Amino acid sequence: MFCCNIFRRYMKRYDNIVVGSGISGLTMTLLLAMNGRRVLLLEKGTHIGGSLCRFRKGQLSFDTGFHFTGGLNDGGILADILGLLGLRDMIEPLFIEDSSENRFIFESTGRSFEHPVGFANVKARFREYFPSESTAIDAYFDAVQSVCSRTPSLNIHDNLIAPPNLEEDYISLDAVLKEMTPDPLLRGLLSGYAMCYGVRPDEVSFANHCRMVQNFYESIAFVRDGGDGFIHAFKEKFKGYEVDIRCSTTIAELAEVSDSRVHRFVLSTGEEVSADSCVFTIHPSQVLSLLPEKQYSRAFASRVNGFEPSAGFFSLFARLKPGAASRTKSSIVSLFPDPDVNNLLDPEWGGTPALVIITSPDAPDPDGGKGICILEPSFPRHVAQWSDSRLGSRPEGYREYKERRVSAIREHLCSVFPHYLEGLEILDAGSMLTYKDYLNSPDGSAYGVKQKMRQFNMIGRLPLHNLYAAGQSALLPGVIGAMMSSLIVGRSVLGKDEYGRFLGRAA
Amino acid sequence: MTEQEIIDRTNKVFEESFEIEPERLVPEAHIFADLGLDSLDIVDLIVALQTSFGVKIRTDEKVREIRTLGDVYRFISAIKNGGQE
Repeated sequence: MFCCNIFRRYMKRYDNIVVGSGISGLTMTLLLAMNGRRVLLLEKGTHIGGSLCRFRKGQLSFDTGFHFTGGLNDGGILADILGLLGLRDMIEPLFIEDSSENRFIFESTGRSFEHPVGFANVKARFREYFPSESTAIDAYFDAVQSVCSRTPSLNIHDNLIAPPNLEEDYISLDAVLKEMTPDPLLRGLLSGYAMCYGVRPDEVSFANHCRMVQNFYESIAFVRDGGDGFIHAFKEKFKGYEVDIRCSTTIAELAEVSDSRVHRFVLSTGEEVSADSCVFTIHPSQVLSLLPEKQYSRAFASRVNGFEPSAGFFSLFARLKPGAASRTKSSIVSLFPDPDVNNLLDPEWGGTPALVIITSPDAPDPDGGKGICILEPSFPRHVAQWSDSRLGSRPEGYREYKERRVSAIREHLCSVFPHYLEGLEILDAGSMLTYKDYLNSPDGSAYGVKQKMRQFNMIGRLPLHNLYAAGQSALLPGVIGAMMSSLIVGRSVLGKDEYGRFLGRAA
Repeated sequence: MTEQEIIDRTNKVFEESFEIEPERLVPEAHIFADLGLDSLDIVDLIVALQTSFGVKIRTDEKVREIRTLGDVYRFISAIKNGGQE
């Protein structure tokens, strides 16, 4: 006991620990630190940022998890969140301004649908595309706005952890669209942004679809320096506060549990620290594996173990040679070989997969070449047979799989854009296993757990009451969903009065 | 589904998912005060009941009114036999 007491006397004390340094962990850390908390931020990887991190290939930088976002327009939710955190001037949005820079091409019909900027403009343009479906289009856009206005978690001033509670939480996107219109092409267009959350239209609730797409209809922006732009801004901001960052460090054990609270946190480095509370922004399955078994019910374990992975991407990272680059603006082009997005996001589907082609607004390399990223939806079953192999020692079959995908994607791309045949130089390719390895994700999925209708996510207080869960699997996927989850859970950690005062100061 | 089948299957959920001894599972048992669940367990209870009964449960007012095990039986019975969702 003597030894233990001595140790405790020197045990470092924090107000809060945040586990995981992706966008959610960074947001949580800054929110707590801005409210006078002493925060320890733990990151398993060698540097902070999680899926925000870019990597360099030759003279070009490529994003891994973050490509573009909505909500950065004035009055947009992401602009508001960044404002609240004092980051608005530190992150520079590069808006898509021309409708031709964001389009969906439905290959079976050859039709291309551009998305202009602004909710009303998108709606008007869709009415032009489908003149006989104007009633359905009006009903859809009205419903999107209505759901968002009735969702408290989309309001940074009154955000509560609330279970799904709207009628629209209990009906799928697919069911709503089938009720609205018999036109499969229009249904495909209205569900196209499902690629940005990785759940099939017949599995996602209409409400969650609305919550995610409203921001995209309003505006879409790249960010200067991509995901790294966010990381730099947070790092800079942390300098003014009491934030300790430890990379290559995780929590090894939650020790000394009593009264449903953890009193001592053992780090993977062997060091022990104490803290009032700890927020996990990592994957729910990784949180479950840390909780002492007798501290949660079997029902809790079975709920968490029942979460499925969202879709991932097989990604090509390529360089557009100077000639092709000069003809290509920064843009997002989605190629849909089948109008039914249920098929495009179905792991079992045998047809040609969709592609999302993202040409970033980064400056060209010294020779005039530009980076381009081509994403093809992928699912754990595609790489399941090699999932136990390790980075650097994968079997030959895996290499062949990657080569097959690379040439199939290239062929698909060139069938629509023949000028890429000569103009594209492929620099690297990543499968879901690549994402799993480099981003410390348990399954390599792009959006954490698949947020299916009627699912109850892991969010807020955990069975040990000074532990909390946030992150992109907690509320909604993507940067906005992950940051909002941290504000909502942060409000719980700080208490609503203190959070309220913070909002008052920031206003 | 008979009332007894609903009672038996609900009790099984409490026994297997929350490890509560069968003798404590009486209709008047308060799920928080007597059975030791806390508010965070409600979500897990709903998921476990959904799975066990093959029903879809909404987290609306009716769920929030549940206090006793007997309330759970009546709640499930209304969904299962009452034709409600």
